Amino acid sequence: MLFFSFFKTLVDHKVTVELKNDIQIEGTLKSVDQYLNIKLDDITVVEEIRWPHLSSVKNIFIRGSVVRYVHLPAADVDTALLEDATRREAAQTSARARQG
Amino acid sequence: MENGGSEGRDPSGFLSEIIGTPVTVKLNSGVVYKGELQSVDGYMNIALEQTKEYVNGKVHRTYGDAFIRGNNVQYISADS
Amino acid sequence: MSDTEDASAPQSEPLDLVRLCLDEIVFVRLRGDRELKGRLHAYDSHCNLVLGDVQETIYIVEDEEEDEEGTVRTVNKQSEMLFVRGDSVVLISPQGQP
Repeated sequence: MLFFSFFKTLVDHKVTVELKNDIQIEGTLKSVDQYLNIKLDDITVVEEIRWPHLSSVKNIFIRGSVVRYVHLPAADVDTALLEDATRREAAQTSARARQG
Repeated sequence: MENGGSEGRDPSGFLSEIIGTPVTVKLNSGVVYKGELQSVDGYMNIALEQTKEYVNGKVHRTYGDAFIRGNNVQYISADS
Repeated sequence: MSDTEDASAPQSEPLDLVRLCLDEIVFVRLRGDRELKGRLHAYDSHCNLVLGDVQETIYIVEDEEEDEEGTVRTVNKQSEMLFVRGDSVVLISPQGQP
């Protein structure tokens, strides 16, 4: 749930999604689900010369499993808050594992 | 069922027996790690100490501590 | 899983090593001959990560026609804040290489 919640805080921000086939798509994050599938609006493809087949596409749904990276705007990420949330999630996960 | 003198029970029994000892971990990519086994979990995620990384049989890098994601693991072998 | 550990001293597990790297510089090896070095701000049990101030190094093998390993070209990229999907992760180590 940690990253699902995290991405929800970035809705309406500009991000660049880098896919496992090296295509990079920049756009406005419109929605995300628990699988980290992603919807982007107003997209542009980085290095459009190499990947011309998306040049007429305006918005896109990306299956989470094909994502390698999402480049984020650092100014919109509260890193201290993220680290706290990570510690909380880690504590929950290991507590659940111990209960078995 | 003989594995190095210890009673063979089951795979996770074997893994908990070799914690703290030197092991070899081979990944699906062929890369090999040798180090002291700190811990393992049910996904075969592994924590190693004093780790040497071998690529094509040659030492490629060393790590003080290393976490290896379990899905990449082909086998874990006790060195002793 | 059925060890007799008391709750005050939970058995250590591999991801504890990653937890101890929070807000520290980590070295990450990825599938596809890629490496990252950056500050770890978040992770989960899938090894999804968020890294800040990241340098990515990509190793590209050239002259593949030779039977010997060809020359390796490296490409470096910078990113101010990067989410990494866990399924690409191979290894995580504190503070990069010695």
